[in-house]
Amino acid sequence: MISYIGKRMVAVIPIVLFATLVTFALIHISPVDPAEAYLTAAHIYPTPEILEQKRHEFGLDQPLLTQYMHTLQRISRLDFGTSYLTNKPVWDEVKARLPATVELALSSMVLSIVVSIPLGILAAMRKNGWIDMLSRGISYFGASIPQFWLGYLLIFFFSVRLDWLPVEGRGTWQHLVLPTLTLSLVLIALYTRLLRSSILEQLQETYVQYARTRGIRERVIMLKHVLKIAIAPLITGMGMNLGKLLTGTIIVEQVFSWPGFGRYFVEAIFNRDIPVIQCYVFLAACLFIVCNLLVDLVHLYMDPRISSKGRAEQ
Amino acid sequence: MSVRQRKTATLMLVTLLLLSVILGCAKQENTPESTSTDGAANEKSITLSWPRDIGTMNPHVYNPSQLFAQSMIYEPLVSYKQGGKLEPALAESWTISKDGKIYTFKLRKGVKFSDGTPFNAAIVKKNFDAVMKNEKTHSWLGVVGVLDKTEAVDDSTFRMTLKEPYYPVLQDLSVVRPFRFLGEAGFPDDGDTSKGIKKPVGTGPWMLDEYKQDEYATFKRNPNYWGTAPKVDKIIVKIIPDGETRVMAFEKGDLDLIYGEGVISLDAFKQLRDTDKYVTKLSEPVGTRSLLLNSSNPKLADLRVRLALQHGFNKQAMVEGVTSGLEEKADTVLSKNYPYTNVDLQSVDYDVEKSKALLDEAGWKLPAGGSVREKDGQQLDFELIFDKTDPIQKAMAETIQAEWGELGVKVNLTGLELTVQIKRLRSNQFDLYFWYNYGAPYDPHSFINVIAKKSFGISETLSALPMKKDLDQQVHEALSSTDETKRQELYASILTTLQEQSAIVPISYIKKTAVYQKKITNFVFPANRDENPFEGIEIGK
Repeated sequence: MISYIGKRMVAVIPIVLFATLVTFALIHISPVDPAEAYLTAAHIYPTPEILEQKRHEFGLDQPLLTQYMHTLQRISRLDFGTSYLTNKPVWDEVKARLPATVELALSSMVLSIVVSIPLGILAAMRKNGWIDMLSRGISYFGASIPQFWLGYLLIFFFSVRLDWLPVEGRGTWQHLVLPTLTLSLVLIALYTRLLRSSILEQLQETYVQYARTRGIRERVIMLKHVLKIAIAPLITGMGMNLGKLLTGTIIVEQVFSWPGFGRYFVEAIFNRDIPVIQCYVFLAACLFIVCNLLVDLVHLYMDPRISSKGRAEQ
Repeated sequence: MSVRQRKTATLMLVTLLLLSVILGCAKQENTPESTSTDGAANEKSITLSWPRDIGTMNPHVYNPSQLFAQSMIYEPLVSYKQGGKLEPALAESWTISKDGKIYTFKLRKGVKFSDGTPFNAAIVKKNFDAVMKNEKTHSWLGVVGVLDKTEAVDDSTFRMTLKEPYYPVLQDLSVVRPFRFLGEAGFPDDGDTSKGIKKPVGTGPWMLDEYKQDEYATFKRNPNYWGTAPKVDKIIVKIIPDGETRVMAFEKGDLDLIYGEGVISLDAFKQLRDTDKYVTKLSEPVGTRSLLLNSSNPKLADLRVRLALQHGFNKQAMVEGVTSGLEEKADTVLSKNYPYTNVDLQSVDYDVEKSKALLDEAGWKLPAGGSVREKDGQQLDFELIFDKTDPIQKAMAETIQAEWGELGVKVNLTGLELTVQIKRLRSNQFDLYFWYNYGAPYDPHSFINVIAKKSFGISETLSALPMKKDLDQQVHEALSSTDETKRQELYASILTTLQEQSAIVPISYIKKTAVYQKKITNFVFPANRDENPFEGIEIGK
C-alpha cells in the first residue's frame, strides 16, 4: 500500500510540471502582450517607451526557455509575481481570499452530504414513492437551474421579500446561508441520484437476498452492508467536486458579493491580470490532482483489495 | 398511512419547522457598517454600492483605486465646475505669464490635512516631484509632457514653468489623478509614491475610516476641512460586483444610493424608475458614443461613402430601442456642455434616399439581382468590431448591420475582448469601431489632441481627410494659443471640419444614472465625470 501511495505521489510531479507549462504557454499564445495588459489594467496609456520598459521589467525580452525556467523557480517558491491591478504579491492576495472560498466550499459540501445521503437512501428504499418523486424533482431542478439565477431567486425571496437574510457580504453565519444553498443544490441533485441508483443496484445483489432470507432487518442490511459499498461512487463524486467547488464558486461569489478567490479571479480575467490568472490555473490544476489522489487513497482505505496497480485483485 | 410513513412525515415536518425557526432567528443583524440614518449616535450616513474595491487610495496611481473615492480624500489646486468653469480649490488664485509658460498659484491659507499638518507650497512641490518621478506613467496627460520645473516660491506660492505654452494646464490640474495632494505622513521614506503610500492623508472633506478589502469602506468627515463641511457624517461604500444584486440590495433598503455609469442595467434602471418608490436621475451628457469610419480604408476614404453611411441609419430609433431612451441621440461628436463646443453645426440626418444616391454617385452600384453594392469587382463590405461583453454595443452593431444591409452595404460583425479591441484601434486594424471621448474635465482639449497625435487610433481614422495637415496644425495652435478668441475660432473650425467629414459619427450621449431613496435630497451630479456626488447631499426625515 505504501509503495502504491509513493508511486502516486511521484506521478504527481510531471502533472504539476505540465500545469506550469500550460500556465506559461497561456501568456505566450494570448493575443495580448502582458506588458500592454499591465498598462491597460493600471489605466496607463501604453506609449512605446513605457511598453518597452515594462517588457524589460517583466523579463519578456528574455528567450522563452529562460523565461520558463524563471517561472518554474518562482512557482517553486510560491512566488506568482505581482498583480498588475493591485501591485501586491499574487500569493498574498490569494492567501487572503482563500479562507472565504474554503468556508463556502466546505459548508456547501457539508450541507450537500447531510441532505443527499438520507434523501438518497430514502429515495432508494421508497422507490417510486413520494419521497423518491421529491428527490427526483429536486434533482431536475438542481441540475437544470443556472446557479446565478437560483442565487437571484433566493435573494429575492429570503432577503428582499421576507427580509430574513442579508443580500450580500460575509461576516455572520446568516451571510453564509444563501450562497451555501445556491452552491449545494446542484450537488444535492447529483449525489442523491447517484446514491439512489447505486443502492438500488446493490439491492439486486445476491448477498442482500441472502441477508434477507437470514431474517436480518432491512435497516441493518441497508446501513451495515449495502451503504458501505453503495457509497463508493459518491466518494469519487465528492472528491472530484471539492476541486470543482473551490474553483467553481466564481458565479456564486459574484452574485452574493462574497469576498473570495473566485471573485478575485473574475476581476483578473476582465483586467487581463495575467499573474493572477496564471496562479489560478496552476492552483486549480494542483487542486484537482490532489483531490484525485485523495479519492484514490480513500478508496484504497475502504477497499484494501486494490493493489499497487490500482485495480481490485481478483 | 402506515406507522413508518407517519414517522417519516413527522420527521419532515419537524425539520421544516426547525428550518423556519432558524431562518426566522436569522433576521439580519445590523452590522456596524449598515447602520442607517437613525443609528445609535444619531449619525447621518449614506450607504451606496460600488462594483469594485475602492483600492489603495494612493492619489498618484491609477487602477485599482477608484476615482470617485480618491476625489473624496484628495483635492486639486483648481476645481472643474459646471460648463467647464474653473474655480479656486486649494489654489486661491493664479496668474499666467504673457507667453503662457509660467503659472503662479497663490495657495489657500489655513488649509490643513486631515491629520492636522499644514498644506503649503513645500508639500505641493513634494507631490509634483513624486508624480514627475514617474513621468512616463503619466505622459497621457498633456501638462506632464510640457512641464519644465516647479518651485515653492514661499510658503503660499507655488510656481510651474512650462517648456512651451499649453492652455489646458488648469483643466489637467483639475483631474482626479495624478496631481492631487498627499500629506507628509502618507509619503513613503524614499518619497516614491508609485510603490505605495503609508496612509491616505488628504485635505478633502472626507477621510477613510474603516476599510475591508473587497467588502466595504467607510468615510467620515474630515474635522480639519477648510470648506463647507458635508451635511452627512458618514459615507458607507459596499462593494457589490453584480448589478442585479445591487438592485436587490437597494430594494431591500440596504443601500440608499446607486450612482455611476453602467452600474446597473438599463432595464433595472427603468424598472426602478417605474415603481415611483425611488428617485431616479440622469446626468447631462458625460461622453459621446461614436462610430469611427476608418478613412485609411480606401472604401471609406471617399467622403460620399462616409456621409451615405451616416445618413443611412435611424439614430433616434436605435438609441430609443437599444437604450430605452436613457441615452440621447447625438448630432455632434462633442455635446455642448464643454468649453468651446457651443458651435452651430449642421447635423447629418437620417435620409435613406440621399444615402443611396450618394453611394451610387460614388460608383458603388447594386448589381442586378445582388444585395451588396459593387465597384470595380469589389464588394462594399466592412468589418465592425465591438466589445463582446457590452450588450449595448452588440445590439447597436446588429441594428447598423441590418440598416446598412438594406442600402447594399455588407457589415461583418466581430465581437472582441476589450483589450484586443483597443489594440486593434491603436494599430489601425479596423474599418468601423465604437469609440468614446473622455468627458469632463478632459475634453475638448484631449479630444482634439488625439486628432493630431498618432497611435491613439483617431488620427489614423482621419488620415485620408484632404485637410488632415491643416487640422493637425489647427489643433497644435489651439492647444498652445494664449488668446481666448483665437482658441474659440480654432475649435469652431476643427469641429466644423470633423462634422462635415463624417469620419467620426456621433451616435448618442452617454449619461450617468442615479437611483436613490426618497430621504436623500440635494443630489447633484458632479461636473467632473470622475468626482463624487456627495457635496451638498442631505438626508431628510
